[in-house]
Amino acid sequence: MEKNNLCTIPKDAIESVLLELAKTNNKIVVMSSDVSVSCNIEAFHKLYPDRFFEMGIAEQSTMSAAGGMAAEGYIPIYVALAAFSNGMTWAQTKQICNANLNVKIIGTHAGVDDGQDGSAHHAKEDISISRVLPRMTVLVPSDENEVKAALKTMIEHKGPVYMRVAREPQPVIHARDCGFTIGKAEYLYDEGNDFAIIFEGTILKQALEGWEKLKQSGLSGKLLSIRSIKPLDVECIYHVADQVKIIVTVENHSIIGGLYSAVCECLAGRKNKAVVKAVGFPDEFTMSGPSSEIKEAYHLSGQRIYEIISKNNQEADYL
Amino acid sequence: MKDIANNINYDQLRMTANKNRIKILDMIQDGKSGHLGGALSAVDVITYLGECVIDYDKKERDNFILSKGHAVAALYAELHELGYIQDKELSTFRKINSRLQGHTNLLVLPYTDYTSGLLGQGLSYGVGMALAKKLKKSHNTVYVMLGDGEMHEGQIWEALMEASHYRLDNLVLIIDRNGFCSHQPVENVISIEPLIDRLGSFGWNVKEIDGHSMEQIHSCFMSLQSQYGKPKCIISHTVKGKGVSFMENNGKWHRNIPTEEEYLQAKEELKKRGGLL
Repeated sequence: MEKNNLCTIPKDAIESVLLELAKTNNKIVVMSSDVSVSCNIEAFHKLYPDRFFEMGIAEQSTMSAAGGMAAEGYIPIYVALAAFSNGMTWAQTKQICNANLNVKIIGTHAGVDDGQDGSAHHAKEDISISRVLPRMTVLVPSDENEVKAALKTMIEHKGPVYMRVAREPQPVIHARDCGFTIGKAEYLYDEGNDFAIIFEGTILKQALEGWEKLKQSGLSGKLLSIRSIKPLDVECIYHVADQVKIIVTVENHSIIGGLYSAVCECLAGRKNKAVVKAVGFPDEFTMSGPSSEIKEAYHLSGQRIYEIISKNNQEADYL
Repeated sequence: MKDIANNINYDQLRMTANKNRIKILDMIQDGKSGHLGGALSAVDVITYLGECVIDYDKKERDNFILSKGHAVAALYAELHELGYIQDKELSTFRKINSRLQGHTNLLVLPYTDYTSGLLGQGLSYGVGMALAKKLKKSHNTVYVMLGDGEMHEGQIWEALMEASHYRLDNLVLIIDRNGFCSHQPVENVISIEPLIDRLGSFGWNVKEIDGHSMEQIHSCFMSLQSQYGKPKCIISHTVKGKGVSFMENNGKWHRNIPTEEEYLQAKEELKKRGGLL
């Protein structure tokens, strides 16, 4: 893991990869529904005007047209805020998956990262409604370098992929040339068996803060970035659940249907050493505000991660 | 267009369409599931497309998107006529492990070009495919068939705007204007009129035909070949349940299954219609 104090906005990394890959892959086309400025893909529009398709404020038609593009052999990449590219298009995405079309969907401003626009713009259910679709791959990279690597991997992968990307600045912990493997979680630290934190990429900052607090308190554990929600790194989760006393899942998402649910589904039905607890959004529509403040208000924080794990540790010692 | 389109035999086309009607009836009767009314209204245009327009043997070719996928029995009947579906498969329609899924399925039967089942999406696929064909400098055309009730779907109007914005003259929309939604007249449910004016104002080149007249179908398809700069729409006026007297213009036959007696009567009518009795 790279150690520095640099924080950048992961979504801003998307365009540089598209520009780089488009030079050598003439099958790459980009679809937009009037959010090319918000999603920082305007330079692609200018450099490759014949391979950029502005479809208007028409998310459903954009998604299905991407399906048509894929049926003709192109690799359409639909970039929009997650509340739009994912939240407005479920029936269309279902049919993309039904036909196993090679459409790549990027949801920026994941979770509450479009915070001040309020609950309609918060995408706290995108993992849930995308991972339920057969054939769909769901990726949750963390910092800008991992987003770049994940984007390259998703374009190489054949079949529909949804990737959520943070707008909230995240610490840069990966090297520029880091890799990304679909279906493989990443150990950021593996220092002991008191606990494990498993997080999805857009809540990296809070997961790291929780890790530091626990470390300072004298506990030693594991910190894992899940990276790929579907397929899930089941063997890794089994292994962790057999070693530690508690797993805390951390997600910029509802605790219904997201990472917590996926981990619990994975572990239900087998004997595990670990209990699983969740840090994520409750079953509520969230308030407007800066993303960091919304997360704090709903206890998506390093402090909450610390409290859950340290309390569990004390109870376990008492028992 | 296929070469055959230059040497058209209307009587032969009518015979083929009638054979397809009988296959539709048999498939749906056999599986006790399916949509007779909308398949029987659409089958003449679908037969024409299969016989005269789309050369399914070519890798790069015209495409046909049946957005009103519930009329799929008509497409399967024509694909059978063309030899892409075997005789024994017809009796597997809508049954387990069949290629003949309840709605078109691109993965199990690639000739269908599109996975349908949720109305309103097919024209957007047509837009995407037409954009892609332009990008690859292909001269092929995308044909999309919608039901008239399907015009209620908002996504259709998104796609209508996009197609004219991008001047997709390689996109032909056929609206199977049989006048019915599922069971009620479209105009009683939510009016779509004045349809020709609406489509024209959206920037489309619009024609109207009798969708059961092979002469009119052929004439219209041929005339559209030489028109450029706008997407093209054919409002195909048809009769839901066409060819079976008691099914025609009767919303009950959207997805009703005939009794044995009704089936025998329908089959006799269709055979007489085709000169087979």
